[in-house]
Amino acid sequence: MQRIFALWTFSLLLTGISSATVADDLYLACHEGVLLPTADVRDVFLGEKQFLNTIRLVPVDNVAAQPAFLEKVLKMNGMKYATTWAKKSFRDGINPPAVMANDDAALEFIRRTPGSCGYLGVEPLSGVTVIGKF
Amino acid sequence: MRRQWRIAAAWTLCAIGTQCMAATAVAAESQDDRVTALEEKLNRSLKLIEQLAARVRELEAQRAPTPAVAESSQQSQQRLESVEQQLTQLVDASAARGGGGTGVPLHGFADVGIGNHTADEPGLKGANVGALDIFLNPQLGEHTRSLFELTFEVDEEGQVAPDLERAQLGYQFSDAATVWIGRFHTPFGYYNTAFHHGQEIATSLRRPRFLLFEDQGGVMPNHTVGAWLTGAERLADGKVTYDLFLGNGQAISGGSIDPRSGGVSHGSTIYGGNFGYVFGETLNGLKLGVSAFRSRISDDEQMGRITQVDNAGVYFAYDTDRFEYLGEYYRFNDRNLADGSPAHRSNAGFLQLGWRLPLATPYVRYERAALDQSDNYFALQTSGVSYYRAALGLRFDLDVKSALKFEIARTKNTDRLIDQWTDAMLDYAIRF
Repeated sequence: MQRIFALWTFSLLLTGISSATVADDLYLACHEGVLLPTADVRDVFLGEKQFLNTIRLVPVDNVAAQPAFLEKVLKMNGMKYATTWAKKSFRDGINPPAVMANDDAALEFIRRTPGSCGYLGVEPLSGVTVIGKF
Repeated sequence: MRRQWRIAAAWTLCAIGTQCMAATAVAAESQDDRVTALEEKLNRSLKLIEQLAARVRELEAQRAPTPAVAESSQQSQQRLESVEQQLTQLVDASAARGGGGTGVPLHGFADVGIGNHTADEPGLKGANVGALDIFLNPQLGEHTRSLFELTFEVDEEGQVAPDLERAQLGYQFSDAATVWIGRFHTPFGYYNTAFHHGQEIATSLRRPRFLLFEDQGGVMPNHTVGAWLTGAERLADGKVTYDLFLGNGQAISGGSIDPRSGGVSHGSTIYGGNFGYVFGETLNGLKLGVSAFRSRISDDEQMGRITQVDNAGVYFAYDTDRFEYLGEYYRFNDRNLADGSPAHRSNAGFLQLGWRLPLATPYVRYERAALDQSDNYFALQTSGVSYYRAALGLRFDLDVKSALKFEIARTKNTDRLIDQWTDAMLDYAIRF
């Protein structure tokens, strides 16, 4: 009985761990047909890269997944991200990414907006091009 | 006797029986009445229930939507969803364009200060209003860009002076090439294009003294009115940046540099370039660069006199989550073209080290300018004095958009009028 209980507890723990891992997955997605190299994602979200060939890129932030994105992809904290964009905006006259509240809103924005790229906490099933997973 | 008794008993029994029967009959009659009454009551109750049920049905029928009403409600719902979808698309499109569809977003900076001297005027002290800096960058299309910066500053007389610090219209061909035309920050070194009139984005409380804007006591031509080609090209592990510019040659008027935003009366020009390398993964956050410009500068002291200012500089910036290290060094090699006299050499530079700690960002800065006073370019400027300054500061980020800064600095003018003083200042700066 004790062994069953221990196995059960262990399996629950494993489930929790695997759930946490799934929740932390980050999917980078672009508007259908926009094949942005993952190496360029950082530049796109810092305003350093605005074109992919002739396509005007439109980055979009996702509040729900932003902490993971900043940590995994941009490797900077929220304060630094905001300051970087303030400097960039006032130096080069470009605006920071549009901000969506959650995965659904970000996904809908990416589906509808040509050239847009964003990040999601869940794997999008269709309608966008997934360019990477972190 | 016995018989009489029997008869009497029989009578008695009969009487009793009669009485009993009569009583029974009366009782039976009374029960029938009650049953009848109850039946009547029941009937009335049933009727009342039927009436009530009918009324309920009537009321329910009144409340239930008619087919026409239901259809109308469905149409309203569909219209509502359609409007919601259109609104969402408008908001999305607006957000993608940076708000172009709903007007131009208004941004800006403001700061106020207090100290034993003000940040730019050593002769003044107490509380002071720094600047209100209004910033507009309407997004006009995929390739067309624009940038306007209108600043309201309080001068030493206490008067508010508006100034169109930047007015640029640009066309972006690609990431590698954008052409701007208008008034822009002259792209020499790092600091002049990285930091602007709003002090909030700068770590320090004020700019290095020789890099102050022209009307605040700086000695560099911070603004140029002309054309500017800028861009960047990514390499394997880094990025090359470049700037090339050409514009109106500045003039020295009233003791300070005038960018001549309205045009020039004769053909003096400024031109120059800036090339930098931004490191990638290896030294992420580090930029190294060189810059140079040549400007032919007239002045209001002697008609037709032109001073050719040649400036060359090197710079670095190391900007990460934890550090901000900045350094610039410039050499001047200026000639008076009217008399053909030998070149006058001067130099200026600064080194600033900042550490972004969890609670605050302390910084230190040392700056030095050794300016040849026989050079017309510096001699004609009220603030063209050689000096050195050592500063110690602390910046508290109260939130993402506001900061409180303290600075203590020791400044010494080393020529013209020898003087030295210590500043202790506080500045509260915001951006919006």
